[in-house]
Order: sequence, then structure tokens, then C-alpha cells
Amino acid sequence: MADTTRMEEFLKRPLYVYDLPPELLATLTTKTTNPITEEEPEINPEDAELAAQDSAIAASTICSLCQVSYNNVQEQRSHVRSDHHRYNIKAQLRGNAPLEEIEFAKAIGELDESISGSESSETEEEDADTGANTTLSALLKKQAKLSHPEEQIETAVTSSPKHPLFWLGSSGLPSNKSLGVYRAIFSNAEQDEPGHLVETLQRKQLEPIKARTNNSSKAPAPSASGPHFFMCMIGGGHFAAMLVSLAPEIHRRQGGVEDRQARVIAHKTFHRYTTRRKQGGSQSASDASRGAAHSAGSSLRRYNEAALEKDIRDLLSDWRKEIDSAELLFVRATGKTNRKILFDQYDGNVLKQKDPRIRGFPFNTRRATQGELLRCFKELTRVKVSEVDEAAVAAAEAKKREEESKPATPRPQPQPQKPKISKEEEAALLHTSQIQAFIRRSKVPALMSYITNNSIPSTFTFTPASQPQNFRCPTPLHLAANLNTPVVVTALLTKANADPTATNNEGRTPFELTGDRATRDAFRIARHDLGESKWDWDAAKVPSAVSKADADSRAEKERKAADEEESNRRKAGLDRLKREDAERAAAEHKASLRGGRTLGAVVEKTAAEKRDEETRGMTPEMKMRLERERRARAAEERFKRMQGN
Amino acid sequence: MAVRAQFENSNEVGVFSLLTNSYAIVAVGGSENFYSVFESELQDVIPVCHATIAGTRIVGRLTVGNRKGLLVPTTTTDQELQHLRNTLPDEVKIQRIEERLSALGNVICCNDHVAIVHPDLERETEEIIADVLGVEVFRQTVADNVLTGSYMALSNQGGVVHPKTSIRDQDELSSLLQVPLVAGSVNRGSPVVGAGMVVNDWLAITGLDTTATELSVIESVFRLGEMGPGGSGAGAGAVNKDSIVESFY
Repeated sequence: MADTTRMEEFLKRPLYVYDLPPELLATLTTKTTNPITEEEPEINPEDAELAAQDSAIAASTICSLCQVSYNNVQEQRSHVRSDHHRYNIKAQLRGNAPLEEIEFAKAIGELDESISGSESSETEEEDADTGANTTLSALLKKQAKLSHPEEQIETAVTSSPKHPLFWLGSSGLPSNKSLGVYRAIFSNAEQDEPGHLVETLQRKQLEPIKARTNNSSKAPAPSASGPHFFMCMIGGGHFAAMLVSLAPEIHRRQGGVEDRQARVIAHKTFHRYTTRRKQGGSQSASDASRGAAHSAGSSLRRYNEAALEKDIRDLLSDWRKEIDSAELLFVRATGKTNRKILFDQYDGNVLKQKDPRIRGFPFNTRRATQGELLRCFKELTRVKVSEVDEAAVAAAEAKKREEESKPATPRPQPQPQKPKISKEEEAALLHTSQIQAFIRRSKVPALMSYITNNSIPSTFTFTPASQPQNFRCPTPLHLAANLNTPVVVTALLTKANADPTATNNEGRTPFELTGDRATRDAFRIARHDLGESKWDWDAAKVPSAVSKADADSRAEKERKAADEEESNRRKAGLDRLKREDAERAAAEHKASLRGGRTLGAVVEKTAAEKRDEETRGMTPEMKMRLERERRARAAEERFKRMQGN
Repeated sequence: MAVRAQFENSNEVGVFSLLTNSYAIVAVGGSENFYSVFESELQDVIPVCHATIAGTRIVGRLTVGNRKGLLVPTTTTDQELQHLRNTLPDEVKIQRIEERLSALGNVICCNDHVAIVHPDLERETEEIIADVLGVEVFRQTVADNVLTGSYMALSNQGGVVHPKTSIRDQDELSSLLQVPLVAGSVNRGSPVVGAGMVVNDWLAITGLDTTATELSVIESVFRLGEMGPGGSGAGAGAVNKDSIVESFY
């Protein structure tokens, strides 16, 4: 027991693959199955409550398109806004298979362009928004150009079953805890024999090195004494490379606390301005596709590309010895131009494309910087701890298996066994349907005779209670009140002795379900007729008693009042009509008195009409002559006027 | 309340009208029958505007709006825009959008809080939608159809989607929008629910062919019995009742 707790203590600190605690190392075992790393979404009681409140709003926890799960609406909404989801929607519309998150990240990474700029540039933050957008569209364009996108995806899928992590267990640890080690840090031969993984790990353990004290420190010449990795990243004009020793270095901090650090043998970063800002892609790619541009910027970038290539190749040849002796080479170089810089056949090239030691980073990496390389190294060499509730997993699997086996054998149990219905229940069901039908049709005599003949108790409730219609109206009186049938209410209360204080599942008495006055009066009359002592009428929420005569007289009074009002209204309307008629007649009379145009009066004619009249009946020649004369006269008039002025 | 209506023998009322919580737009038709249906339901509550968009009568398919704003396509003339500005309440923002997919009513589906839009809509458009309509914008499909506005009718209370939408899609959309959704049809089985009806928080107008079953589904998912123009249940219900009583005389 103490042993287990001690082991658990180890897991609380980050574990370094090449310097594992010996107790843990001795008890390591390989796990056959990959544990499910995705944790089951926990349902906390608050959420459950909320869900109960508004059960109509579905709570989806997984995006079926992207296979991404989320816990709440905020996560879902941010996922729907993400490039990944938008890409998948467009891919689906095109008929391409949607990508999973990791595949998508890889696809984005493969684009021949990268986010450029130095570590803390502000312009980049401004562009980040549009940057993501252009990356997405670039990816989509690229996909559209591929002649056989399906094949591409298939190959990706076939290679995916290789899980990036090897999982190990330990006898000193609870069985649901597993330790993950990246596959990439083993050589190809070691990867092929997962059975000997533990021995390999044990063999690889390294003794930590004491850090040099300050007084003896010299510029550490790149010395490749122990096993070491070479790591480099290149993209968007940034280049970072690092030689890092696998043996950890122990620094003694104040207070005697030991602090392990990765020992960087050598590192170098370059940055040249090569990417076309706001347009993306490298200058050489643009030149190749569009022809060389002759702007100042383009020539700068062209020069810088060449300079960066030279810088990198010089550095690689400087480090040739260390690179050759390195255990593994981690390289991130996406895109044709970037790979060409490292792997092209040039004079005295250092890295070979076919080198079995070359690895990619098995996770997302950011811009090529020294800090990013260090982070990657830590990520690669840290042991992952995963905790899985195996009981839940086993239960889920058993359920799945059950479900799978079900459709295979549909015959043996064609129907899920219906719960056996007892005689009483059957009778109750029959009574329920009968009584409900009578109440709905307001068949009072039939209802009464049915109740007496079958000697149904006054406390009878409808079955099954779970049915939604019986939720609101569990008793005959509730139903009658809800349907606003005063006669049935009266009959049930006075003859069938129904209980008006019974409440439905919402805690309401029958009286509270009534929808009109007549039904409410039926309750009040019943209170009057049955007497105050019969039921607790206040608990039934029935207001003060009223006699039948009173109720009738009141109704009569109201009817009369309504009639009177109606007749008044009609009378007023008729009066108004009469008045309006009279007014109209008067107005018409007045209008007729006013002097209008009398029949046959000379209507003022326009000039055009006059002219028309004059020429009527003339031959065309005469008309023409007249026109000419008229024009001549008009011209003379004009001249005269001009001279006058 | 849900009402049936017809625009000159066409049941696609969503094509010829637009209904929101603060205004309604109705196409200019040969007769005033269609307009008078709106007027009788909405009189004194919200303005009902007679309008054309780009000289056409398919105003419901070309425009999209909610309580806070109205978006019209780039083909809208200045006169039409001015007319809308004069008729609609001052607090409603009106904006003309330069967008290749100009039938905005077909590609955008929104209520007062969220909008589901066509995946190919431009980014600028997405921003304008968010600003003018005051909504969160999501690019999604409805039953694998990109025309979200055509295949979905949405209010703040609920929504109806294409009848062939899978349960899983419904759940996802419902959880995204935070309103209950139901797969249903209008106009005797038409799947274009967005174009076949218009709805706001207290009124739905569907085509004359809509069956009683379809109407009851619509009334229940949009919770039309409970709400009134005021937004709360009881007081507004009384207003509705009065108007019903009036119409009997």
C-alpha cells in the first residue's frame, strides 16, 4: 500500500523518459490495448437540473461531423466557429470525407505558407483573424486541385492506426493509470518490437550530469559526448536548430532543491524576411506561378531566401559531426521550398531524406523559435500519465457488444417481454378509457350508470398515471373541470361523491383547472348543495357557496344586461346611419344648389384643339400650305420682336 | 396564434412576406387580401410595410431581419430603401449588403439571438449580420442543405426544420441555438418550411394548404398559444381574445 502511494508521488512530478525512478522502471509493463484517452464527460448535478428545466432543448455533446466532443454550449459554439468545423462543412458539401482534428492540423501544416513575423509583432495579431481565414481558403483551394482527394485521405487513414504513444503500466500503480511514451523517440527497429519496449527503456536510462558551477564555465563547445538529438524547424523565413543532450543536467537551486534541465549542447536561430505579407506563400513560389515580380520587396525577399538557405547549410555543415552522431533527427520542414533547403542534393549536404533517424514532431508545433524547440523536446521526453476508469470502459464495451449482438439475433425474442398485466390493472385501463369517453362527450346518465354498475370507488384515478394526458387530469373530476362541462362536474360532485380536494401532479385541484364561469359556478353550487362540512372546500380552492337560484338569477341578469347593451348598440348604430344618411342627403342637396357647369355651356378650348378644328376637312396640300403660312407669320412676329428689343 | 393565408393563389407566404417581432414586410400584390391578413393580426402592434425589393415581390426571400435590424440585398433601389426607412421603426437598423448570394432570406435564418447562415457566405457579410442584427453567426447546414433560410423557420421560442433532418442534427442545432426544434413540414407536406411560413414570437402565418396537424405542430413548437405581442403570457392573451371576439361581429 505504501508502495503504491509512493509511486503515485512520482506521478505528481513531471517524469523524464531517460531518467525514470528505478522503482517505477523495474515494475513497468507494456499495455496491450490503448487506453481511451478521452474522458467521459461528467454530468454535474447543476447541468442535470438545467436539463430538466428545459428538456425540450437538446443537449448535444458531440459534433457528428467532426467527431469533436464538448461539454457545454460555449464550447460547442466556439467549435462551430472554428476553421476545422467550417472546413468539414465545406468538405461534406463537396463530397469529400471530413477530417478529424489532428488530420486537419496536419493538412493546414502542409500548406506551403506559414505565419510569419517575429515573436511579439503586433501586426500579426491584427492579421490573425484574416490569417486564419486565408489559410482555410488556401487549404480548400489546394484540396480542390487534387485530382484524387479520396485516395489521399485513404492513405492518411491507413497510416493513422499507429498511435503516437506507447502505453505502459506498472505493477506498483493502480491498473487504471497508464504511462505514455512517444513512439517517435524509439528507433525504427525498437518500434517494431513493442514487446521489448520496457527493456529498451531500461537500457536507455542515463545518469544525470551535475551542472558546471559558474566559475568553471566556459563557452561549451558543441561536444557530442553522450547520446543527443538534433532538432530543427523551418518555415516562413524562420529557422531554429538545436542539439540537445539526453542526459539531464541537475542544477542545485537555493535550499538544496534539485532541478533537472535539458542540456542544450548548441542552438542557432535565423530569421530572414522571405514571406509575402498579407498574400502568403514564399517569393519563390510566387515567382514560379506568376512570373518574377520586379518590385523592391520581391527582390529583397528573393535575396533573403538565398541568404537563409546559405546560412542554414553553413550551420548544418558546421554541426556535421554532431548531426551524424545524433540518435534521432527531429525535423519540421513543410512545403517544397523548405524541404529543398535541408534535403536537396547540394555539394556536401548533411541531411538525407531517406535517413531512418529522421522524425517529424508527433504534435502541433508553432513558429520556429528556440523556445518552441525546447518545448518540443520537453513534450517528447515527458512521460504522459493517463487515468482511465476501466470499469466504465468495460461497461461501455459490454453494452456495445450487446448492442452489436442484438441485430444478429432478432428472432429468439421478437418482442421485448411486455410487463404482465394483472386482472385489476386491465379492468382499471378499461374503466379509464370508458369514463374518459363519457366525460368527453358529456354523457352524464351513461357515466353515472357506468360508475354505479361497476361500483367504481369515488377515489378512482386514471391509469396508467405516466401517460401525459393523465398527468394534468388524474381523476374524472379533473378531466370534467378541464373540459369545462358543468353538468358532468355537478353530477360527479353530487351523485358520484367525487373528491374536489384531490390534486393533480401539478398540485392543482379540479376547480383550478376550470376555464369558464359555468363550470366554476357548478363547483360553488355543489358547495352550497353538499354543505360546508362535506369537504374541506377551502382546500379545494372553491370560493364561497352560491345557491342554484342565485346563480341562475345572476346569469339571467347578465344575459338581460348584455341584451340591453346589444339593443342599445344597435339602436345607436341605426341612429348613426340615419343621421349620416340625412347629412349626406343634405350635402348632396347643397352641392346641387351650388352653381356648377350647366349643360351645353361653351367649353374653353386649348390652342391645339382650335388648330385641329380649323384644319378639319382640308386636303393634305391645303393643310401644308396653312401650316407654312402660319410658320412664316410666327417667324415674322419673332423678327419684329427682336428688332423691337 | 397560427393563421393560414395565401398570396395570389400561392401558398409560399414566406416568399412574399417577412415577419419579425418589431415589423412586418409584405409584398405589393394585385389584391389586398394577403396584406389585410397581416394587418388584422398585427394592427396597432407593429408596423406592416408594403414594399418591393429590386422591383420584385419576393421580399421574403431577398431580405432577412429580426427585432433589431433588416438586411437587404445590393439590388435594392434607393427609393425602396428610403421607403423602408420611412416605414420601419427608427430603432430598426437597415443595411444593404454586397453579397454574391443575394437571396439573403434563403441563405440566412435568424431569430433575435442567433443566426444560421450558408457556409459560403463572405466574411464581411458575416460581420455585418452580427453587427446589424445583433446575433451570433454560425455557418451550418440544415439536413445537408446549404439554404438554411429556406429549410428552417426560427423564432425565439422554437424552430421547425426540414422534415428529413436526422435526430442527431436536430439535437446539435437545438443545442447550438438553445431553442427546441422539431422536424416538420408546411403546406401539406412541403419541406421548404422557411419559405412556406413566417413566424415571430406570437404569430405564425402559413400557407392555406397547411393541414391541421402541421398547424398544431407549429403552434406547439413556437409556443404560439402562450405568448402575445407584449411577450408575457396572460396580459397579451387577453388582447388576443378581444381581437377574436371583435372579429365575430
